[in-house]
Amino acid sequence: MDEKVVNFKIIRNIILVLAVVLVGWSIRLQIVEGKKYSRLSEENRIRRIFNPAPRGRILDRNGVEVANTRPGFYVSVVRAAIDDETLSALSRILGMSIQDIVEKSKIEKNIYNPVKIAHDISYEQLSLIEERIDLFNGVEVGVEPLRHYPYNDLLFHLVGYVGEITCEEIEGDPGYVLGDYIGKMGVERYYEKILKGTHGIEYVEVDAKGKEVGKIAEKRSVPPTPGVDVNITIDIALTESISVYLEDFEKAACVCLNPKNGAVLALYSKPSFDPNLFIHGLNSEEWNTLLTDPSAPMYNRVTMSCYPPGSTFKTFIALAALDSRMTVKEKRFEPCLGLYRLGRRDFKCWKRHGSLDLINAIVHSCDVYFYQLGRAIGIDTIAERTSRFGFGKRTGIDLHNEKAGNLPGRSWLEKRYGMNWTQGHIFNLSIGQGDLLVTPLQLACAYSLFVNDGKIPMPHVISRNDTTYFTTNISTEAIETVKNALIGVVERGTATAVRIPGIPACGKTGTSQNPHGDDHALFAGYAPVDDPQILVCVLVENAGHGGSIAAPITRRIIEAYLNSLDHADSLTSAPSTSNVQED
Amino acid sequence: MFRKIDPSIVWTTGLLSLLGIMMIFSTAGYSIMTRQIIWLIFSFVVALLFSRISPRIWLNISPAIYTVAVLLTLAILFKGDVYPRRWIRIGDVSIQPSEFTKFATVLMLAYYLAGKKRLSNFSDMVVPTLIAGVPALLVFLEPDLGAAQIFLPILIVMSYWAGMPGWKILILFSPIISAIASFSIYAWVAYMVILMIFLYFRRQLTDLVYGFVSNTLMGLIMPLVWNSLKIYQQKRILSFFSPWIDPRGMSWQIIQSKIAIGSGGIFGKGFLSGTQKKLEFLPERHTDFIFSCLGEEFGLFGIIIVLTLYVYLMYRLLTLAKETRNRFSSILVSGFMTWIAYQTFINIGVTMGLLPVTGVPLPFISYGGSALLSCFMAIGICLSISRVKMSY
Repeated sequence: MDEKVVNFKIIRNIILVLAVVLVGWSIRLQIVEGKKYSRLSEENRIRRIFNPAPRGRILDRNGVEVANTRPGFYVSVVRAAIDDETLSALSRILGMSIQDIVEKSKIEKNIYNPVKIAHDISYEQLSLIEERIDLFNGVEVGVEPLRHYPYNDLLFHLVGYVGEITCEEIEGDPGYVLGDYIGKMGVERYYEKILKGTHGIEYVEVDAKGKEVGKIAEKRSVPPTPGVDVNITIDIALTESISVYLEDFEKAACVCLNPKNGAVLALYSKPSFDPNLFIHGLNSEEWNTLLTDPSAPMYNRVTMSCYPPGSTFKTFIALAALDSRMTVKEKRFEPCLGLYRLGRRDFKCWKRHGSLDLINAIVHSCDVYFYQLGRAIGIDTIAERTSRFGFGKRTGIDLHNEKAGNLPGRSWLEKRYGMNWTQGHIFNLSIGQGDLLVTPLQLACAYSLFVNDGKIPMPHVISRNDTTYFTTNISTEAIETVKNALIGVVERGTATAVRIPGIPACGKTGTSQNPHGDDHALFAGYAPVDDPQILVCVLVENAGHGGSIAAPITRRIIEAYLNSLDHADSLTSAPSTSNVQED
Repeated sequence: MFRKIDPSIVWTTGLLSLLGIMMIFSTAGYSIMTRQIIWLIFSFVVALLFSRISPRIWLNISPAIYTVAVLLTLAILFKGDVYPRRWIRIGDVSIQPSEFTKFATVLMLAYYLAGKKRLSNFSDMVVPTLIAGVPALLVFLEPDLGAAQIFLPILIVMSYWAGMPGWKILILFSPIISAIASFSIYAWVAYMVILMIFLYFRRQLTDLVYGFVSNTLMGLIMPLVWNSLKIYQQKRILSFFSPWIDPRGMSWQIIQSKIAIGSGGIFGKGFLSGTQKKLEFLPERHTDFIFSCLGEEFGLFGIIIVLTLYVYLMYRLLTLAKETRNRFSSILVSGFMTWIAYQTFINIGVTMGLLPVTGVPLPFISYGGSALLSCFMAIGICLSISRVKMSY
């Protein structure tokens, strides 16, 4: 065969093979992987813009806004489009380091999507950026709804705060995008789903530089659905009063309940923090100081701090004793001589009380009487009965991270001290000291059993009509006996400072021994006795005696609240009667 | 003796050029398209003119054209002040001399190879290698690797067509494969083993010695040279070869090009509707990556039509080379065919992410007057050869 013909065939075949390779490769790109590339092409050009919904407001029991929404300006950057010059200019304007900006922008994996790097910038910063927006590649500014807390630090522990969502929080939840705010604590966290609302989605077409070139006609934009308002049971005026009464103290906790249904009327923990500061976002240094502050401002002392309840616990030892043996009511033990000797150890009382019966032992808070009473009924009766009052268990309030405290029963003592635990442990438990730990909220709830014939309502922050009650199965006779003793405490005992003319109150003082410093002052009680409106539990850290410190504060709280009720009644009664006439 | 020109060469190139005008309008708009239309009309007139000139005349003036082209390339290498030194401005028009250097080199190679009645030894390849190598080196130094690489396949195919045994050519240029393979020790060892087995069975001492020595040296020297460079120097060399790298990195171009073609699907997004192109995700839209836009807007359907046109054109040129009795003309046509075929394959391969990025225009379709004119000059000569193919 002619050499030319052979060469012709070889070259022709090479060309054909190369052409087939190209066709095959384009079949791979356009058919086999066509869907993938179509999606990538759409992702290139279509940007979904999430417009955050304004959060629902949080309203107190009288409809006062304790958390609302205000507009704020944010800055976002598109990593693919931003250049070094723009970065350094932006860092000067925002007062952030370039590294911080880059780090923040790296949260978003897609370099063509804008990432919010600063929230709530000032008008000055805004105008500096707006002036040069055409020179700044990949920088956008916009308006977003921001959380605002008009009462600053007053309700921090109860209402909580919102902060920018973290990568862990966003994982697997399609309802959130980067740069969103999420409730981190308190009501904001517990009722996040209700408050949050739904993002609006806008579809825009962008070019390779990340600039918007127009709207996408074929995809309908969805406006944001605002979050739903949440009504809480708090009385903001009462909380303000409490903060004034506790002004002189550094660390304190106070909770007020409607004892009939468990509605939280006030929840105040000191020291506090202004939740508005979280909107900007704290830098790591600010976070560290906040978290390592020895006074622990992040801690909700009402639900998360555990204290020995001191003498306020004697109420429940007495209840336990009476419920197991009603005859204990008349029982007199060895008289109080200011101390009680057990083996080689002296157990002190705060006063020489002489010989007392149970009622007077409560009224005058005699430790020696309760040492002997505790020993008489035994560890198992104490542990079993008091756990029915909710000690050692969470109350179930609608706030996160509630603590259960510690109720040291037999098994706990054996685990902790081995078989050698002593009568001394029962002595300590009988006067509410030692290993017994309760939260102020637990204590308040336990006291509400006197109001509801032995039932304890589950405390709640959100307004609702149904209440869950826990039954304690304590005999009515025992409850009535101890209630009378608690009235005596206020009338003639350790809490005469609570006495308000014309308003019978009852309760019990306590002094919680604190191994690290001065004792904590405690009072728990309610008023009026015949138609209870408010139950107060006050704890002032390192302040001294319950009777001299916590009791007078309680009186002012009760007075303030009952006055406000009277005031409200006189205001509402007139229009309500006219309504009746019209009907 | 007057014969008709081959009409299929005319209509395939015509269709491809019109498609090019369409795609340039789609990617770059009206004013760029107008410039290209002017270039196309001019190129068409030149091709018409060339088709009337007897191939014999080209034989006589080939050395002169080649000398002028090499001197011109040399001149811009020393005189050019815009970097990379690829362009000459004449009035309002920019000209890329390397396109004409390709044309001139094909002429010169055909001139030399036609004069050699027998090609069989390595020594016969010395002069052709120099003819192709000198302009290749000059273009490479501009720097324009995309244009410089084309001289190699032109040299190989033309000397093969002129009668050089294929395996001789293979052995001669095997050190190039060795240099590329040397970046991976396994690839290089495997390559050397296969080469040695092949050479052993050829039973030719000169081949064996040359093949072994040249391949071993190349395989040893390349990694040494490369590794003696600092990282930044290596990067600089890589970017030297590809100065069109954008700040987002070369892979971004390829990804966007693949997205453009892949998202076109079977029938494409429709003329003027390519979003990758419109929103400027696609780089070098009207020049080196114009084929991506074609794939996006006309889909697999469009790609197959365009490839069919190219393959048919190559087939007609190859047939012409086979049927032409004049040795010079036959070798000349094989050279032009190789030039156009190779650029087409490289360009499309790059846009599909099949080959590494080298800047090569797509013949007849990419925007660029010099490339269009030089291709049409080649086609003009092929047409004149097709008229007189039966004469010696």
